[in-house]
This record gives sequence, C-alpha cells and structure tokens, in this order.
Amino acid sequence: MNERGGYKQDAIRVGLLWLGLVVVLEAVWFATEILPRQYAEEAKIIDDAFNLLTILGIPVFSFVVAMLIYSAFRFRSRNDASEDGPPIKTSKPVVVTWLVVTSALALAILINPGLVGLAELRANPEADLVLEVEGQRWQWVVTYPNGAEVRDELVLPVDTRIRFDVTSVDVLHSFWVPGFRTKIDAVPGLVTSVYVTPTELGTFTDDVNLRLQCAELCGIGHARMVMPVRVVEKAEFESWMAEQLTAEAPAAEGRG
Amino acid sequence: MRPLIRAVVLGLVGYVAGAWLTVAVRGGSPSDDVAVVFGFILGLIGWLMGIGVWNAWAREWFGLPAKPDQATGWKRYFTFNTDHKVIGIQYLVTFIAILLLGGAMALVMRMELARPGQDFLTLDAYNKLMSMHGILMVATAVAGVLGAFGNYLVPLMIGARDMAFPRVNALSFWLIPPVAIGLLSAPLLGSFDTGWTAYPPLSVVNQGGQVLFILAVTTFGLSSILGGLNIVTTVATMRAPGMTWGRLPIFVWGAFCASILSLLVTQFFAASLILILLDRVAGTTFFGAAAGGDPLLYQHMFWFYSHPAVYIMVLPAFGVMLEIITHLARKPLFAYKAVVAGFWGIVGLSTIVWAHHMFTSGMAEQLHAPFMALTEAISIPTGLVFLGALGTLWQGKLQSKTPLWLAFGWLFNFAIGGITGIYLADVATDIHLQDTYFVVAHFHYTIVGGTIFALIAGSYFWFPKITGRMYNERLGKIFAVWLTVGFNLVFIPLFWLGVNGLNRRVADYPEFYAGPNAFASVAAYILGAGFLLYAGNLLWSARRGPAAGPNPWNARTLEWQLPSPPPEHNFPLLPEVVGHPYDYGVPGSVHAAQEAAEGGEE
Ligand SMILES: [Cu+2]
Ligand SMILES: [Cu+2]
Repeated sequence: MNERGGYKQDAIRVGLLWLGLVVVLEAVWFATEILPRQYAEEAKIIDDAFNLLTILGIPVFSFVVAMLIYSAFRFRSRNDASEDGPPIKTSKPVVVTWLVVTSALALAILINPGLVGLAELRANPEADLVLEVEGQRWQWVVTYPNGAEVRDELVLPVDTRIRFDVTSVDVLHSFWVPGFRTKIDAVPGLVTSVYVTPTELGTFTDDVNLRLQCAELCGIGHARMVMPVRVVEKAEFESWMAEQLTAEAPAAEGRG
Repeated sequence: MRPLIRAVVLGLVGYVAGAWLTVAVRGGSPSDDVAVVFGFILGLIGWLMGIGVWNAWAREWFGLPAKPDQATGWKRYFTFNTDHKVIGIQYLVTFIAILLLGGAMALVMRMELARPGQDFLTLDAYNKLMSMHGILMVATAVAGVLGAFGNYLVPLMIGARDMAFPRVNALSFWLIPPVAIGLLSAPLLGSFDTGWTAYPPLSVVNQGGQVLFILAVTTFGLSSILGGLNIVTTVATMRAPGMTWGRLPIFVWGAFCASILSLLVTQFFAASLILILLDRVAGTTFFGAAAGGDPLLYQHMFWFYSHPAVYIMVLPAFGVMLEIITHLARKPLFAYKAVVAGFWGIVGLSTIVWAHHMFTSGMAEQLHAPFMALTEAISIPTGLVFLGALGTLWQGKLQSKTPLWLAFGWLFNFAIGGITGIYLADVATDIHLQDTYFVVAHFHYTIVGGTIFALIAGSYFWFPKITGRMYNERLGKIFAVWLTVGFNLVFIPLFWLGVNGLNRRVADYPEFYAGPNAFASVAAYILGAGFLLYAGNLLWSARRGPAAGPNPWNARTLEWQLPSPPPEHNFPLLPEVVGHPYDYGVPGSVHAAQEAAEGGEE
C-alpha cells in the first residue's frame, strides 16, 4: 500500500470512530435528563439554548477525542529510535476547510441560540406584576404592589408575567432562582430588572431549585442568603398578598 | 543565604518604619489601612535593596561601582542573579511550591464541601480560604509557565546569551516573594473574603487584609509588566543571525504574544485595585454609589485585564504543548503559519471580549449581543491551535513519553474547557450558569487542564535540559494518567452541580447537592495524593537520575544543541540559523549551523 492510500484508510477509520462517538454521545444526551425542572417560560428558552449548544458541541468534542484515540494507537512509534514522520508541513485545503467549518459553526451558534435566544428573552417588555426586591446582608426583602414587605418566603402567581426590580442597600448580591434560570445582580445605586413568567406550581420544600439564592459573593452569610419560593394559583396569590398586609399591620401599630 | 537574610531583615525594618512613621504623623493604629500601605511600600524597598538591587544595580545611580553577587552553585538561587536560566528555575520552583500550597488549600475546601452543613470551617473562614486559593492559583497560572519556561527557554531557543535586560529580569522575580508574603500574611489583618476578583463595594468595606491583597497583587502586576517587557524586547532584538520571525519556535511565539498582552493590559487591574485602595484610605468614592460612584466601573476595568489574563496564562501553555507534540511526534508543526496567526487572533480579540463576564451584572443591555459575538469569534483562532496539534499528531511517529501523554490529556481537557466556554459566551445560557459551579468547572478545565498541565508537562520535557538528568519514565506515565483521570473525576461532577442550581463560593449547600460533592471531594484527595508521586519523581531524579546527555529527545530546537544544563551565557559561539526548527523528516534539513559565525566575542 502506498502512503497516500494509507492516509486515506486512516482518514476513513478515524471518520468512522468519530461518527460512532457522535452517535453514542448524542444518544446519551437525549436519553438522560441533565437539566433541572423548568418552572418558567424563561427556563424553557434557556434550556433550549443549552440543548442546542450541547447537540452542536458533541460532534466537535467527539472529533478531538476520535483524533486522540486513533493517533494514540495508530501512530505510536514501535521502535524507540528517532525515526521521523512524513514531512507534511501544511495542507492548504485542510487549513481552509478547517477555517470555513469553525467559522460557520461560530456564526451558526451566534445566530441560534445566541441572537435568537436573546430576542426571545427580550420579546415582551410588558409585566402584569412588578415586585421590588432589595438585597441586603444577608437577606432578601420583597415589596409587593399592595405595600407588603416580605422576607421569609417569595410567593408568586403562576402564568403571570412578573418583573422584578432589583437593587441592593450595601454590597453586590445576585437574584437567582435556579428553577426559573434567570439571574440579575443587585447593585447599590442601580435598579436592574429581570422578567419571570412562572408556568408550574411548586414549592421549595419539594424542589430545592425553587429558592431565591444570592449568587454574588457578599460576605459571611452569602451561602445562606436564601429565600424559599412558592408558585401558587392566581387566586391564592391575591388572598395571600392581602394577608401579608394584615399580618404586618398589628406589628406596625405596636411599634407606633 | 546572606542576601536573603539581609532582604528579610531590611524588609521587616522597612515595614515597621513605614507603619510607625504613619502612626507618628496621623495617629491611629499600625494596622490601619494607611499604615499598612506605607509599611508595605517601605518594606518592599527594603526587601529589594537587601536581596541585591542595591549592590548589583542601585550603587551605580550614586556613582559607586556595582558589586553583583558572585555566589555559585545552589546559593545562586537565593541571590539577585541575572542569569536567565537561574531566574527561570527560581520561577519554576517558586510557582510549583505555590501550586502545591494552593492545591492543599483546595483539599481543605473540598473537605468542608464533602458533605452539606458547616463542618469545621466557619462560613467566613471558608470564604477567606477560597479567596486565598483563588489568587495564589491565578498568580501561578499567570506567571508559572511564562516566568519559568519563558525565562529559561526564550534566550536559548532564539540563540541569545541572556535576556535583553538581565537586571530587570532578576527584579521581576524578586518582586514575587513579597507578593506571596503579603498575601499569606493577610490573615494577620483579618484576611480578605472577596475571592480573587475583589469586587467592590465588598472590597471597600471588608477587613484590612484586603489592603495587603491590593498591594501584593499590584506588585505582582509590576512584576508581570517588567517580565513582559523583557521577553518582548529580547525576542524583538536578540535573535541569532538567521532566526527570522518565520523560524521562531512556537513556544517563543506563545511567550511573545502573552508578553505583549501582559504589557498592554496588566495596568488596568493595578489601576482598578488602586482605585479601591483610594476609596478605602483617601475617602474617594469611585465605586461608592451613594456618592456618585459606580460599582460596575470596577468590573469593566477588572475584566479588561482579567479576560486577557486567561490568554496570558494559556498562550505560553499552547507553546509548551505544541513544542512537546512536535518534537515527540517527530513531524513538522502542522500549519505553523496558521497557528501563529491563531495566536495573533487571540491577542487581538482577547482585549475586546471582557464584558462576557458581566451579562448578569446589570450593565447596559445593548452590550450583550456584541460581546457575545466577539467572544464566540475567539473560538476561530483557538481552533487553529487545535488544528496545529491534531494535524501534527496525524501520521506522526509518536514517542511514548510522559510529556506526550500529558499533551493528550491536555487536548482532551482543553476541548472540554473550550466547548463549555461557549455556554458562558451565549447570553441565554450564561444568565443561568453565571456564578455557579459550571463556571468553576469551566475555568478549572482551561486554567488547570490547559495551563497547569503545560507547566507539569514542560517540567518533564525540559527536566533533562535543566538538571542534566532523566526523570523516571514509568512513574512519569503513571502520574500522567493519574493526573488526567483524577482531574476529570473532580471537575466533571461540578458541571452537573452548576447546571442543577448550585452557586459558587459557598461553604454550605442544600442536601440535594450532596452526592456529586462527596464524589468530587474523594476524587480531589486522590488527585492531591498523586502530586506526591510527581514531586518524588522529580526530586529524586534531579539528584540520582541517569545522566540525560544534551539531547535525549533528539530534538531540533537550539536549546537541545547545548550541554545539559547549558553553560553560563549559553552559546560560546552564536549559532547561525539556516532552516526551520521543525523540519523533521525533511531530507537534508538543518535548523542551525554548528560551525557558528560571528559574534563569539566574550
Ligand atoms: Cu451573596
Ligand atoms: Cu473572559
């Protein structure tokens, strides 16, 4: 067999190995549930982006792994003497193909999920409910439209587009509910916003990802700067919100 | 050892004088921020003068003859020695020691994290330990490969007798111990708990240890800038006859490009830290929102350095790994010019992608799309490095040696690091993943999997050149497998944790995350234990290993044409470069003519 023929055979074999790896890894990805449960529309957008990146990333990763495995076994020098390999310095078609493929991939992911995901997240600037969130060391204070200030549990109505207006009174914090996937820093002197449209009922006691977790290092209590989240029916939400006001009132009178 | 003792004494005297003078002038306590600042500055000057800046250099400024230290043998390493090989070894040993120390801290952290709940570290102690681990390891990654191999190899590889500014070079190294001492003594002042990122307002209002962090890291930045200046000048002006830019070994390109970056951007980190210092000690409010300052300004300045810093870490590592792959595959470096173009593409793009760290920071929303696009574009030049590596292995005659085994692990890790980076460049996925364990896993794949693997692989590959002796190949390979497998076992579970809702920088976490954390902790102990094998092999072999001879790899670059270890001033006669360094298999090709030309005057 001449050298050219040998190269071709190597290329076919490594191609098959690559293909096999792609099939196996994609199958594993589709068969397993890696992502946590979605509790909001935004979670679906972000998870779709995650899925697409993984589906596209697997062939890239598999290519590197296939080349490594094949090279390790096929091109290992049997004699320790220093015989040289073939003096292939470069190959214009290979370099050009490589550049075209990597550029096309970069462009593809920039468009989708990149710009598409961004557009979907920003599609709707309306909000049915606006909550004010204040981060402070080391707790969250949420003010509801009726004026109720809540610190122990974040209760939200399902199927409602909610805007959180977030700020901080001391250092940086970050507003993050893993079940919703959305996150925005709480910055002193700035009001930042994040939209969430809860789609599923649930509570922190059933799913740890229904928690408002501070995600930006803020000192000693950072790890435990957590507020449980509960998503409820709209009617239940209304009555709960009203209750918060009456629950607060006697305390306020007492102080007065 | 005399200079070292002198340096310690003068450093302490300087510190005490600075702190007490401040107290004498303005009152207060010697542990006040201002007193620490003046103490550190005078202490640093005392340290440098003591170690030899005065004798070898500063005396000239006053018309006195310089008296450089004449120490020989192992004592050279403890003096202000200007031989680039001595400095390279000083960097290598210092940063491997810091790597092991930072690694030990990581093991303590993994012990706390092995199960939920707070076990033996307080929440505060954990934050501080994590911060210390972070900054020590970042420093190791920034200056380890570039300082050690950049200094040791660049002059040898380009056919020069030393660096362009040998005394500046010694100064860059001797600035490092005060950095380490400053950071490690921060616990005396309450330490610092802001991670290595030091975001205000927290870094303005926390303990005094933060001031030592600022001073130490600014000093480290000075060392980086001086080191970068030296390498850039050396490569630009001191190449041997015939060593054209097109014949430059790929490691020299990596070190050169990293040095250009470090020369261009390090100031931004220093400046942002100095603004924090002013907010603390001078009552300014650069980052104080209540008085018109802007906390986000810091993040822009910080990442303007700290994203390129990733490439300051990794470009020399690319160089190390491509050298190893090329010499041990015994084939020309595939698509050399495309790889060099990739390096330059990385240099250019790396300074205009910083805000991908800030998609959830509250910065202006119109910045999201452009920074996502620019960040994803950097995958194109990085892809060329993979093309070079994989193309060189293809059809090679792979020599089954430890450094090449590590190169395989490195390519595997860096593929994971690169691909997971896309999830953090994409705005949608980053909104969820930012500040989670996914980020922790990702950057350990690039920094440990990329740069630290190169530091270790390089320490095997050039071990025979540096020591003149050969390491134990079998133990080396066992360690290569141990390191690669152990590293992946520690960090793969962390991706899952991040995706599933565990934020980073926490001592405690909900029960739900217990399983993967316990797994990662056990894997971390195993990984950590492996380093005993690494240190043992190299320490023993440095004394007892078999003589390696000048060129055990039968490699073509210039450093292998010299005795091991190379003599002072490297080349008795300057070599004349007549061909490409990587023309393996090209009939009749020669890299450098031995019967050297001009320039042998001593
Ligand atoms: Cu926090
Ligand atoms: Cu970055």
